[in-house]
Amino acid sequence: MTLRITLSAALAAAALLAIPASAAPKTDLRVGMAAQDVGQLDPHRAVSTIDRTVVAWIYNGLVRFKPGTMDPKQIEPDLAEKWESSSDKLDWTFHLRHGVKFHGDFGELTADDVVFSLKRASDAKTSAFSADFAAFKTIEATDPYTVHIVLARQVPSLLGLVTNYSGGYIVSRKAVEKYGADFTRNPVGTGPFAFVSDTPNQSLELAAFDGYFRGKPKLEHVSYRYIPSDSSRDLAFQNGEIDLIYGKQDQAWINRIRALPNSVVDVFEPGELANLNLNITAKPLDDLRVRQAIAYAVNRPELVKWQGADTARPGQSVIPAGYLGSSGDVGLVNTDIAKAKALLKDAGYPDGVTIKIIHTQLPQMLGSMQVVQAQLRKAGITLDIQVVDHATFHQQIRKDLSPIVYYAAARFPVADIYLTQFFHSASIVGKPTAVTNFSHCDVADKEIDAAKTETDTEKQVGLWVEAQKKIVAAVCAVPLGEALQIWAHRTDLDYGYELKASLSLGPLLTEATHFK
Amino acid sequence: MIGFIIRRLLASIPTLLAVLTLVFLLVRVVPGDPAIAILGDRATPETLAALRAELGLDRWIGAQYLEFLGHALRGDLGTSMVTHRAVWTEISEALPHTIVLTLAAMVIGCLIGIPAGVWAALHRNGAIDVLTRLLSLLGLSFPVFVSGIFLLIVFALQLHLFPVIGNPRPGDWIDGLHKLVLPAITLGIVMAAYVVRVTRSSMLQVLGEDYIRTARAKGVPRRSIIWRHGLSNALIPVVTVVGLYVGILIGNSVLTEIVFNRPGLGKVIVSALTQRDYTMLQGMMVIYCFLIVVVNLITDISYGLIDPRVKQ
Repeated sequence: MTLRITLSAALAAAALLAIPASAAPKTDLRVGMAAQDVGQLDPHRAVSTIDRTVVAWIYNGLVRFKPGTMDPKQIEPDLAEKWESSSDKLDWTFHLRHGVKFHGDFGELTADDVVFSLKRASDAKTSAFSADFAAFKTIEATDPYTVHIVLARQVPSLLGLVTNYSGGYIVSRKAVEKYGADFTRNPVGTGPFAFVSDTPNQSLELAAFDGYFRGKPKLEHVSYRYIPSDSSRDLAFQNGEIDLIYGKQDQAWINRIRALPNSVVDVFEPGELANLNLNITAKPLDDLRVRQAIAYAVNRPELVKWQGADTARPGQSVIPAGYLGSSGDVGLVNTDIAKAKALLKDAGYPDGVTIKIIHTQLPQMLGSMQVVQAQLRKAGITLDIQVVDHATFHQQIRKDLSPIVYYAAARFPVADIYLTQFFHSASIVGKPTAVTNFSHCDVADKEIDAAKTETDTEKQVGLWVEAQKKIVAAVCAVPLGEALQIWAHRTDLDYGYELKASLSLGPLLTEATHFK
Repeated sequence: MIGFIIRRLLASIPTLLAVLTLVFLLVRVVPGDPAIAILGDRATPETLAALRAELGLDRWIGAQYLEFLGHALRGDLGTSMVTHRAVWTEISEALPHTIVLTLAAMVIGCLIGIPAGVWAALHRNGAIDVLTRLLSLLGLSFPVFVSGIFLLIVFALQLHLFPVIGNPRPGDWIDGLHKLVLPAITLGIVMAAYVVRVTRSSMLQVLGEDYIRTARAKGVPRRSIIWRHGLSNALIPVVTVVGLYVGILIGNSVLTEIVFNRPGLGKVIVSALTQRDYTMLQGMMVIYCFLIVVVNLITDISYGLIDPRVKQ
C-alpha cells in the first residue's frame, strides 16, 4: 500500500512538473532548407538561394526594401538614416545612423566600413556583383558618418544598388581584414542575427544580436538546417521538428502542406521568369521564321496549368512582370500550331526540324522543358534534349553549346538589369563582358543604353517597353512562365510583417519576427 | 600474421598512388566549372578568371597535379575551394558517423542474414525457405530511399518513437544510438538480404559434402553438424560478400545519410560534387579508396582466422 501511495505521489508530481509554469512563446526558430551545405556567407559572393536567404538575416544595406516588399518605391532607410542626390543624379550623399554596432567585437559602423564594402562589391576580384557597380566613379568618406558617391554616368536606380540585396550589403572592414579568405565562414554584419557556428553539411546557428540598432530581436536563436531530401524535409516539418521550410514550386506540394494542421504556405514575389533563349546566330534559329514557329508553338497557359495555378503565372514579356519598365503589351503571340507549321514550311522545313539542346537535370526545370518539348513537337519541332547535371549545364551554356537555353531568373525589379544582362550585346556569352545573353540578341542595344541615362522616368519606361517589343519581334527569347517563391511556416510563427515579396528569395527575419 | 599484414599494406601503396592520379584526373574531366558554381550566373568573365586564379585553377595541370600529389603524400588534403574549411577536418568530422552507420548496418545484416540463411538451407524448398528467399528479394528490391522514408513515416511520424532529423547531439552517445536505429536498420535490411542468399547457398553446398555425411553417420549431434562443421566451413564466401559489401554499404550510406539527414561522408561528397569542389572531391575519393583497401585487408585477415589453411 505504501509503495502504491508513493508511486501515485511521484506520478502526480511528475505530471505537475510536466505542465509548463507559463505558456511562454518559443524563441528558437528551426529552418529547414533544401541544401547540402551553405556555400558563401560573404555577402558579396553569396549567389545561391541557400546563401542569400541567410545572408539577409546577418547584414544590412545603406537602404532597404520595406520588409515583405520588393517595390523600389518603398525603399526606406537602413544603415543610412537619410540621403540626398544632385539634380543630375550623379552625386549622392548618405548620412549614416550613429551608434550602429557590428556583431562581436568589431565596433561601431563608420563611413570607412561603407566605403570599404562598396569598393569591395565593385571589385571583380572580391565580388560576384562587380558589374552592377560599373558606373561608380568614386566612393569616399567625407566624415565618419557621411559617404559620398560620384557616378560616371546615371544609373537607373542607385538606391537599388545600395539596398539590402546582392552587392549592397555592408561588411565590417576590420572583420574582413582579420579573417581574410575565411571571412566567408566568419560573417560579421550589423543585422538582427549574428553568426554563432557552422557545422558542415548539417546546420548554421545564429543568435539574436542584442546590440541590433532596431532593438533586440524577439527570436533568440535561429537554426538553419540543411535537409536536402524533399521527403525528409517535409516529414520533419509535418512532425513539428521544423518551423519554417523551403518549399517546392509545385501545386501538389502546396496543396499537401496546406492540408496539414498548423501550417501556412507562403507564396511570394519575385517571380522567376523562365525564358527560352534562342540563339539568333545558330542554325536553324538564325532564320526568324523558325524562331517565330517556336513562339507560336509554345502554350503558356498549358505550361502554367502543369506547374500549378498558385505557384506560376504566364510570362507577359521577356522580363518579369511588375518590374519598373515591364509591360504586358509587347506583342507576344498566342499559340497557333497551324501558323507554326506554316512558318517552318516557309523556312524550308516542311517535314519539321530537330534541334539538339543541353538542359539541366534539376527536376523542376527538366519537367518544364519536357512540357515545352511536347508542345513544340506538335508543330514539328523536335527538341533533342541532352540532360546534364546542373553545374555542367551552367558551364556548357556559357560556351554557347546549346542553341536554346531555358533560363529562369529574377533580378532587381527595374527593367534595365534584366534587359542588360540577357539582351544587350555586351552581355553575349563568350565576350569579355559576358553575362547571360545566350540568344546573342543585339536588336535593342540603342533603347537599353538610352534608357540608362534618361532622367525623365516616363521616357525611360517608354524606352524599356520599346526594347522589349524589339526583342519579342526578333524572337530572341520566348517567355514561358514565372514561378513564385514557395515556403511554409507553422501558424504560431509571425514574421512581424506581411510577406508579399523578398529579394533574398527567403522570408526576411527581423527583430519583430516571433512565435505567438 | 604481422608479415602478412605488412605485405598487404605494401601492396596497397601502388593502388593508392594510382587512385590519387585517377582521382585528380577524373574530377577535372567531369564538366562543370567550380568558379561558376561558386559565383553564380551574374559574375563577369573577369570575376570568374580572378577566382580561378585564386583557386590555382589557371595554372598548368601538371603543376596542379604535382602539388596535389606532394600534399597528399604528406597527408595534407588541402582546403575546400568552396567553404575554405580544411578537407581533412571536414572528412574527419564526418567519417566516424559513416563508419558507425556502416558497422551497425553490417552487424544487423549479419545477425539477421546468417541465421536466416542457415535456417532456409535446412528447410530447402520448404515454406520457410520460400519465405526467406521472398523477403530477401524484397530487401534487395527496395532502394534505401524508399525503405528509409517508409520507416520514417511509420516510426517517426505515426509512432513518434524516433525523430525525422537524425543529426545526433555532439557528445550525447545515447542520443547518437537512438538516432542510429532507423538508418542502421534501413541499410542493414539490404545487407541482410545479400547475406541470407550467400549463406543459404554456401550452407547447401557444405551440407552436401562427404564429411558432413560422415559426421551424420558417426552420430554427431545435429546442432554440432550445422554450427560447427557446416557453418564454419560455409562462412568463407559469406565473409567475402560482407567484405565486398562494406564498399557498397559505404556507397549506400550516401542515400541513407541524406534521407535521415545524418552527418557523414555521403553528404560531404554530394555537396562537393554539386559544387565542383575539386579539392574536397579529391580528398573524399582518397579516403573512400583507403577505406576499401582497409576493408579488403581485414577481409583477407578474417579468412586466415576462419580457415588457417589460407595463411599458408
